[in-house]
Amino acid sequence: MRKLTIVLIIATISLFACSSEAEPQSLNETQKSIAPSLQGSDNSGSSESGKGGTLKRLWSDPPTLDPHLVTDTTSAGLIVEMFSGLVTLNPDLEIVPDLAESWDLSENGTLYTFKLRADIKFSDGSPITANDFSYSFNRAANPDTESPVAELYLGDIVGVQEVLDGESNEISGVKVIDDRNIQIKIDSPKAYFLAKLTYPTAYVLKEANVSQGGDNWTDSPVVTGPFALERYDLGQVLILKRNDLYWGEKAKLDRVEFNLAGGVPMAMYENGEIDITGVGLADLERVQDQNDPLSKDLISVPPSFTINYIGFNVSKPPFDDIKFRQALNHAVDKQLIATQVYSELVRPAYGILPPNFPGFSSDVKGLEYDPDKAVKLLSESKYADPETRPLIVVTIPGTGGSPSLDMEVVADMWDRVLGVQIEIQQVEWATYLQDLHRERLQVWGGSGWQADYPDPQDFIDILFHSESKGNHGKYSNSQVDEILEEARIDQDPLTRISKYNKAEQLIIDDAPWLPMWFDQEGLALIKPRVRGFEFTPLIVPKLKNVYIQN
Amino acid sequence: MLIYAIKRILWVPLVMLVIALMVFILGIYGPGDPVEVILGNNYTEELADSLREKKGLNDPVFVQYFRYIGDSVKGDFGESYKYPGKTVSELLAPKLAVSAKLFIISILISTIFGIPLGFYAAIKQGTPIDPLVVSMTLIIYAMPVFLTAPFLIIIFALELGWVPVSGWGGIFDSRSILPAITVGLPGIAVIARLMRASTLDVLGQEFITFAKAKGVSRREVIYKHVGKNAILPVVTVLGLSFSGMLGGALIVELIFGIPGVARFALDAIFSRDYPIIMALTLIGTATLVIANLIVDLLYVLLDPRIRYSNDN
Repeated sequence: MRKLTIVLIIATISLFACSSEAEPQSLNETQKSIAPSLQGSDNSGSSESGKGGTLKRLWSDPPTLDPHLVTDTTSAGLIVEMFSGLVTLNPDLEIVPDLAESWDLSENGTLYTFKLRADIKFSDGSPITANDFSYSFNRAANPDTESPVAELYLGDIVGVQEVLDGESNEISGVKVIDDRNIQIKIDSPKAYFLAKLTYPTAYVLKEANVSQGGDNWTDSPVVTGPFALERYDLGQVLILKRNDLYWGEKAKLDRVEFNLAGGVPMAMYENGEIDITGVGLADLERVQDQNDPLSKDLISVPPSFTINYIGFNVSKPPFDDIKFRQALNHAVDKQLIATQVYSELVRPAYGILPPNFPGFSSDVKGLEYDPDKAVKLLSESKYADPETRPLIVVTIPGTGGSPSLDMEVVADMWDRVLGVQIEIQQVEWATYLQDLHRERLQVWGGSGWQADYPDPQDFIDILFHSESKGNHGKYSNSQVDEILEEARIDQDPLTRISKYNKAEQLIIDDAPWLPMWFDQEGLALIKPRVRGFEFTPLIVPKLKNVYIQN
Repeated sequence: MLIYAIKRILWVPLVMLVIALMVFILGIYGPGDPVEVILGNNYTEELADSLREKKGLNDPVFVQYFRYIGDSVKGDFGESYKYPGKTVSELLAPKLAVSAKLFIISILISTIFGIPLGFYAAIKQGTPIDPLVVSMTLIIYAMPVFLTAPFLIIIFALELGWVPVSGWGGIFDSRSILPAITVGLPGIAVIARLMRASTLDVLGQEFITFAKAKGVSRREVIYKHVGKNAILPVVTVLGLSFSGMLGGALIVELIFGIPGVARFALDAIFSRDYPIIMALTLIGTATLVIANLIVDLLYVLLDPRIRYSNDN
């Protein structure tokens, strides 16, 4: 459940002078494979001579470093490098064993038995056992942990809901067999369950570390991933160092230094103060000029599995009227925004699943730009009269700057086509997330959704099932719920996908969102001395293969 | 003089109490519920009520106010809402230190360049140097920080490669040069113009004519009599320039990636972290009040006429 801010993405595309958040996000969530210029280099990262060095990146303060609480890409990008779970996604987005060496699935598809690797250790040298996993699952589900995502990612496990509801202290579906074996029982066979375990909510934590550290346990976390936290100075710097007790191939880098204080990304890159940066529109022409030395560092960044949208809370007027929502959708010329605002660096979104994502179908039809239809729908809605129409306040994340240009263009289109005027209010990112989770926002923009694992359930079910914690706009359609529940247990991949497509079409027609745009291929700069850095469309642990070529 | 100083010093706590009361009331009745911020995603009415009781938020406002004042005097501004488990003091201290250092270098730059420049322009009145300096200071003053900063970055960091673009390593680190110049530049203009006006004013005074008539050398007249008297109004401005520089500091901290208090304050405002906002307002007010007090006392020390009138 990773939220990302459009402000951040825009920063990549349209250049922000001083957004510290922009740069990490832009690279964090976009990109699949590395550019041709890098593919020819030593991408294996296995050269002993190249081992070591410090990678420098521009980042922003993570809202949390607690894996069980993470809901955003800024935090997740750090957490996946420090912590780990039973399984993980590799850069090719395949589910691969992590701390578990293997697993068995019962014939009825509901009982997983994981076997842990031998001699795996926390960063303090203590062994990792099945009991640690049992503690971690129970901790994530415990209401005192206040995890906003435990239900979403662990809710399929038998007994998790009871713990979340305070009816039980222990998850009945998690059973420790012995130090190396643990069983997890889920309520029905679900094709995506294993993928859910790659999300940090299922990561293992050391009980003594968490209980002794109290609210501040993440100041000195005991970790299991390829990197450990060396230093974190709020608003200044966060440094990861190699975890020499990591079970697998040790990280090649000595350190990764995340600058949290901000600055001008492009200038910092040119001056050698950071190793990677996105390229904004203002610099696009310059860096593509073969005579510019920066052109040698330029790489293409394939799109991430992300959708950017404006969400409506359908329980709050005037968004409780489907015709009003549809009118707002038809009034926005997304192609114009993609062309004029983003210079074709984004693709207009009419559906929900990003192109090339598993389950994407071009047959799904969106609410296209049609001003006449928009006006007609508004006149048929119960909020046609501007005098009685409730005030519309669009909340976006930010700290005092101007709203993103696309948001301003949308506001202008709504005004010009429909005469619907809005107010835009900015709140700080962590507060924005809180308000969103608590379903307090009437309309929210400036943010998007990035997939956590390659399954359409991660978009359609998590964001739109009426009982999902990820459904922040209180959208509810019993027909959609029914289809999504059938798809959850459908074992036939083809019919399962068609169910998601059907649900997607129904959702689009109900217009609980105004889908804005999908990522397109972008550009980034990476110092030639940085080797083995892979861009992935999802957040996966990937820094352990990076090294600095001297 | 002593009575005047005591009177002025006694006013300080009173001013602080009034400011603290205003800040406190704004914190209590301002938008957003602190309990909501603390509880975050798991907000429920029951939890909120229990937390309000635990934190004494149900007590009468004046009880809360005096408790807050009592704690603040001891340097305890409470816990941050946004960063549970961390005290405001431990969060603010390193950031205040960074901003204070940046401010000190900027003031030094403004003073070291501003005073001689203004003084020189005044004594060269009637020559092309005077209008040149005046025009130059006008341009510097008119340049907004968000223009100066990128301009300096391009010239001194990217083109010449003399200094880094971002970061902070303390007063004597090369990374402090560009931000300090950026913050200090408008100050140079203000101080130079003030110093020029003040010098011209002193030059027209009768005691200068008298000194010249007595045959005191031009050098002695200018540096001893004019300089000393012309600098008085500038001292006042130094105290007041503190608040003016804070506005520019925010942009400078953002552009140069300086982990100072300005950016932290902005984040606190947007995340409704009232303990941080209140602590910053109190510390800011205290600094301004004390700076003004020092300036006033200095003024009395430097200007016998003020001392005379107050002693009487």
